[in-house]
Amino acid sequence: MTPLQFEALYQDEWQELAGLLKNALDGKSQDAKSRAPIRGERVAALYRRACEHLALARARAYPAYLLERLEQLTSDAHQLIYQRRDFGLASLKRVITIEFPRAVRAHAAYVWIATALLVVPTIVIGFLVYYKPELILSVVSADTAAQYEQMYSDSAESIGRTRTADTDWMMFGFYISHNIGIAFQCFAGGLFAGLGSIFFLLFNGAIFGAIAGYLTERGLAATFYSFIVTHSAFELTAIVLSGAAGLRLGHALLAPGRRTRLQSLVHAATECSVIVYGLTAMLIVAAGIEAFWSSASWLPHPVKYSVAAGCWITVLAYLTFQGRSAD
Amino acid sequence: MLDSVVAAETPEGIVLELRPAGLSARFYAFLFDWLIRLVVFYAFAFVARFLGGIGVAFWIILFFALEWFYPVVFELGRSGATPGKRTFGLKVVMDNGLPVTPAASITRNLLRVADFLPLGYGFAIISMLVRSDCKRLGDLAAATLVVHQSKPVPRVVLDMVSPLAPARPLGQRDQAAVIALAARAPTLSVERLDELAAMAAAVSGDEGKSGPDVTRRVLGVAQWLMGRRT
Repeated sequence: MTPLQFEALYQDEWQELAGLLKNALDGKSQDAKSRAPIRGERVAALYRRACEHLALARARAYPAYLLERLEQLTSDAHQLIYQRRDFGLASLKRVITIEFPRAVRAHAAYVWIATALLVVPTIVIGFLVYYKPELILSVVSADTAAQYEQMYSDSAESIGRTRTADTDWMMFGFYISHNIGIAFQCFAGGLFAGLGSIFFLLFNGAIFGAIAGYLTERGLAATFYSFIVTHSAFELTAIVLSGAAGLRLGHALLAPGRRTRLQSLVHAATECSVIVYGLTAMLIVAAGIEAFWSSASWLPHPVKYSVAAGCWITVLAYLTFQGRSAD
Repeated sequence: MLDSVVAAETPEGIVLELRPAGLSARFYAFLFDWLIRLVVFYAFAFVARFLGGIGVAFWIILFFALEWFYPVVFELGRSGATPGKRTFGLKVVMDNGLPVTPAASITRNLLRVADFLPLGYGFAIISMLVRSDCKRLGDLAAATLVVHQSKPVPRVVLDMVSPLAPARPLGQRDQAAVIALAARAPTLSVERLDELAAMAAAVSGDEGKSGPDVTRRVLGVAQWLMGRRT
């Protein structure tokens, strides 16, 4: 059969398939009711025919334009037929109520290691700086230390006293971009055999410990801890989770098991993506609390600590128990 | 074929050919996107000055969103490409040729941080140069590919040439070569076409000869092979 005969024989089918595909794709942008219904079984049948024709055309070395036309047609149909739809509110709800906490529990070992990597330097450096305050200068610069001290002091300039609604909003933006940026770096650092994640966890733990120890030694504990205690329920947990996800990537590269290193990495990244969704949401919540609630220093401390306790219990209970009984 | 091609087999047993985009095409696309982001960023900065604290808040959030989620939003859209990629005819697909999934798009764009190291997308550049499928680290982890969108290939025209039966039986590869020459004919200069046709002159029984007449006869054979008889 010559190329021209082949084309003449089958091109009605190709045109029909192209028309159906165009109809299905255009329908996406218009509203769903006005378009003609997609005839799925016809698309599938014509797609399989086009696949056969492409295989034949290749085997017979038909001209490039003919192959190209069939390749385009089958590729478009393939994209339409096999596309995954994991958008939508239903799947969002599923992520929140089931998949995220489950993914965290499935990575419990990584979460505990990440917790240790963050908490141990916090405690060690915290106590060191508490007993030898000059050590803070080896972690942050003198200016930064003074800035922090002033921020949490009882003076008029301190946090939450001179703040207006405008500053609250500004800080909200800052917290979002800064904290989520740190979390994403912590996750991406896992690609270097986990070393990047380990570094970011230790580093952030050390900074946090140094500042906490320093401010406590300066007698500013009351302002400082009442400020951080509520949002840290979301923020510290999310940083730990980003580190855990990063460690998972690193572990997948170092010990791929029965997969190739690349397959193992892809597999780990897919499983971790749910954790990344979840921790991003947690950090947005944390930024909101930090900007609008934590900074409100007119609130009595008992109220703040009660709410903080509630937040910590909620977060930990959510990650531990949510979604266990589903399915 | 000299082009680097990644083959993706479908469940129907056919192989889709994906043409991964190289460093230069992706660099231009990146530059284009970067300029767009810069313009949006400064345009909003100009507006934000009049809005006070809330303006600054949105400005910072916008900066954050542009930095991390600008590519994600466009890749999950219908074209599967950021404006820069679309301009240079590129798009992001999964390894198997399907549209990129949300998880993959987010993964590949968050891992930009790793690609960026140690300096100016250093690891990304090394990875793209070393690998034949031109993936950066984010693409590796997300199982995605940046591919050239296929361009239409010209049909074999030249209807004014009358068909001519080949002087001897031709194998499949020879047939394909003669037809491919005819398809390229409109894009070649007359002299180059004569040169190429002279190499294929054996198919029309004109071995060793060259010139416009030989070219016409070779193209005539191509028409015959395509299936025209009159």
